[in-house]
Amino acid sequence: MLEIDTVTKRFGQVVVADALSLTVRPGDAVGVVGPNGAGKTSLFGMISGDLSPDAGEIRFAGLTVTRLDAAARCRLGVGRTYQVPRPFADLTVFENVLVAAQQGAGERGRAARATAADALARTGLSDLSDRLAGRLGLLQRKRLELARALATRPSLLLLDEVAGGLTDPEVAELVEIVRAARGDGLAVIWIEHVVRALTATVERLICLAGGRMIGDGPPAEVLASRAVQEVFLGVTP
Amino acid sequence: MKFLALITVVLAGVPFYAGPAWERPLIDLLTLAAMASLWNLLAGFAGLASFGQQAYLGIGAYALFATGLDPLVGVPVAAVAAGLAAVPASVPLLRLSGGHFAVATWVLAEIARLTVSMATGNTGVALPAAHEPLLRQAITYWWALAVAAGAVGGILLLSRGRYGLAARAVAGDAVAAAASGVKVTWTRRVAYCLAATGTGAVGAVLFADALYVQPSSIFNVQYSVSMMFMVLIGGIRTVEGPLLGALIFFGLQRALAGYGPWYLILLGVIAILMTLFLPRGIIGKVGRPWKSRAGRSYSVRWPLWPAARRRSKDRGPRAREPS
Repeated sequence: MLEIDTVTKRFGQVVVADALSLTVRPGDAVGVVGPNGAGKTSLFGMISGDLSPDAGEIRFAGLTVTRLDAAARCRLGVGRTYQVPRPFADLTVFENVLVAAQQGAGERGRAARATAADALARTGLSDLSDRLAGRLGLLQRKRLELARALATRPSLLLLDEVAGGLTDPEVAELVEIVRAARGDGLAVIWIEHVVRALTATVERLICLAGGRMIGDGPPAEVLASRAVQEVFLGVTP
Repeated sequence: MKFLALITVVLAGVPFYAGPAWERPLIDLLTLAAMASLWNLLAGFAGLASFGQQAYLGIGAYALFATGLDPLVGVPVAAVAAGLAAVPASVPLLRLSGGHFAVATWVLAEIARLTVSMATGNTGVALPAAHEPLLRQAITYWWALAVAAGAVGGILLLSRGRYGLAARAVAGDAVAAAASGVKVTWTRRVAYCLAATGTGAVGAVLFADALYVQPSSIFNVQYSVSMMFMVLIGGIRTVEGPLLGALIFFGLQRALAGYGPWYLILLGVIAILMTLFLPRGIIGKVGRPWKSRAGRSYSVRWPLWPAARRRSKDRGPRAREPS
């Protein structure tokens, strides 16, 4: 469903994607790890349409989407969360999710409200639906990111450090939400520094460093590989 | 909405029961209210703070002059002309945002002023009076009322629906809005062109009221500054905030008109104090305790969000049960 074909992106001298290729099938759950500056969030930016690559092509759902903007890609089924939550602070929690259901999922009236209510229920935010999003705490903001992404009815969900900065029980809750969301064939790509959260959910782990993929496979294998250990632990052969 | 309709009906009768003495100040007040509401549509609901709305006042006024139409039928034509002018203008402008957008709108307004000056001369043009004075003023008054009611009612309806929610999401965070599927540029373009249309109608009304217009007066940035002032003191992102702001501005204008420059200095001081102490305006401040008590899931003052209201009503009884 998602094919990233030799994509390259540079910011000045910094290479955040160096002829990177990646294929994700429907229902896949892929974890992404890598040191800071490895190009993880930039990869998401290029998939979701916030960034355009310097070279290479991105295909999604049978279409070449390299030149499509973020809204068009969202409507095609790419849902994403941001590392630093970006709620619409002046809108209520319900409105935050409703706008995603109306615009991202293209639903109207009752159907949109039902999708929004469902997304809030799945993320445990139903009781807060009347609150202004700007007044939420960090965990609730992270949940709202997730709820808003789910309300666009994505077929591919990009999670950017939804567990960062949370306590262990909070991480466990979020992992449960993501696992439950995966039930209906949703593909997930999940960037996370909290590796426990990843290994509990994904079957495949990729490791990025310097815009290149240095590991791709089952989580245990990737984490044990020499190249990944070098990057993360500074172990030299 | 019913309240708005009632006020409109009551005001529509003013020429019959109150007479022409009331019309003149009300024309001022209504055009101010319309301008403030339209600026709020742009800045509050779509996140586009403009310094160049005077461009559309001027285009509306000069469109009325250029077509030579009787204001009775010319005001909508002027509005459409301003709206059409906004479509190509929006193409370069909407590539910008924030301060860049604000400055570019001002530059564009200056270009419009210079173009009109070159075409018609700096000294201004007069509108031939098409009716006897009493009727003429009543027609102007009714148009001022229609434009103000249309602007407020239109914004009210717009902000209730899908479009308004999308626009407010764009104003909140354009990147996150795009990631939620909102067509950001299209949403902004609609707001920009609608605000231009309404502002063009106001321009035509101002011209019909004064019977005379000069490029340097109608294309004056002071208009945009006044719109901003009214919206900020009344309460941005609310429907009634700009109306309250217009009322206050109108009052200040009347009370302080005789003090020359001190009037402008005082306005500046008020604007600074409001920004420091009431950044969300009077309605933003006053509305707060009322809203938190009601606990409703709409975020714009005045119950703009029927879906959310329905939800709240569903939740009401449950919330009151002892837990």
